[in-house]
Amino acid sequence: MARKRKSKEVPEAELPMTPMIDVVFQLLIYFIFTIKPLDVLAHLDVFRPGPEQRTERLEVPPNLVRIGIFYDGFTVNDKPVAESQLESLIRRLAELDRKQTVLIMCSAASPHEFLVRVLNLCAKYQLTNLSVISVN
Amino acid sequence: MRQRKEEGGLNMTPMIDVVFQLIIFFIVTVAQQQKEVEMELRLAMAPDGKAVERKDPRTITVDVDTQGRVYIARQRLSLQMLQNILRGAVARHGQTLPVVIRADAGTRHEYVRRVMDVCSQAGLWKIKFAAIKERAK
Repeated sequence: MARKRKSKEVPEAELPMTPMIDVVFQLLIYFIFTIKPLDVLAHLDVFRPGPEQRTERLEVPPNLVRIGIFYDGFTVNDKPVAESQLESLIRRLAELDRKQTVLIMCSAASPHEFLVRVLNLCAKYQLTNLSVISVN
Repeated sequence: MRQRKEEGGLNMTPMIDVVFQLIIFFIVTVAQQQKEVEMELRLAMAPDGKAVERKDPRTITVDVDTQGRVYIARQRLSLQMLQNILRGAVARHGQTLPVVIRADAGTRHEYVRRVMDVCSQAGLWKIKFAAIKERAK
């Protein structure tokens, strides 16, 4: 009886796993050394008024704050401010009214980084009603 | 009869094939994503900006380098071409189409302005600027 059972046993199918594991480890090592983590991106939303809207908005400024961006600095309501003061001014403006329109006026020569800096501060203090116009 | 039973083992070949297909897929797509981001642009920092969680598949990203050159998906475009593309996209998707301007931190505003003007002319008033919220460590 025992002999009979032995003869009916199914031999196990063998698959050589070693080369596959080798390749998988090679790939793993490749990824560990080559993958560069990506930067986390942020999107800063602005409203870009059209030419007709732009004049309308400038004529009737209800509770409007103007931030000027120039190649060498910033202004708030036409008064020059140091970069260090800009954050405290924007914070105070946000404390008064978060819904107020902030008109950001960029000069042609100003670097884009300055605009992003202002937009970042507006995002920080939850000022959402932002319009960007360009001035010469 | 005995031979038939021996063939009853688990066939690993299709599984390995699928695993390799997946690996190849990930290698290619990750490399593509890297390339897309690595368009020699030094983005400005905006640590308090809203992080991009789910990107609208309709989003059009316009790159602007320090020389004022304009690209979409690393393809250099003239402003006229950009306008045609945006007009076509607005006709298809409407004015709610998201547009992201990804400009180098050192790009002069006049170059960014040109792109914004083209967007306005195409009927896109809402624009997003891309910035880096957090640098990869």
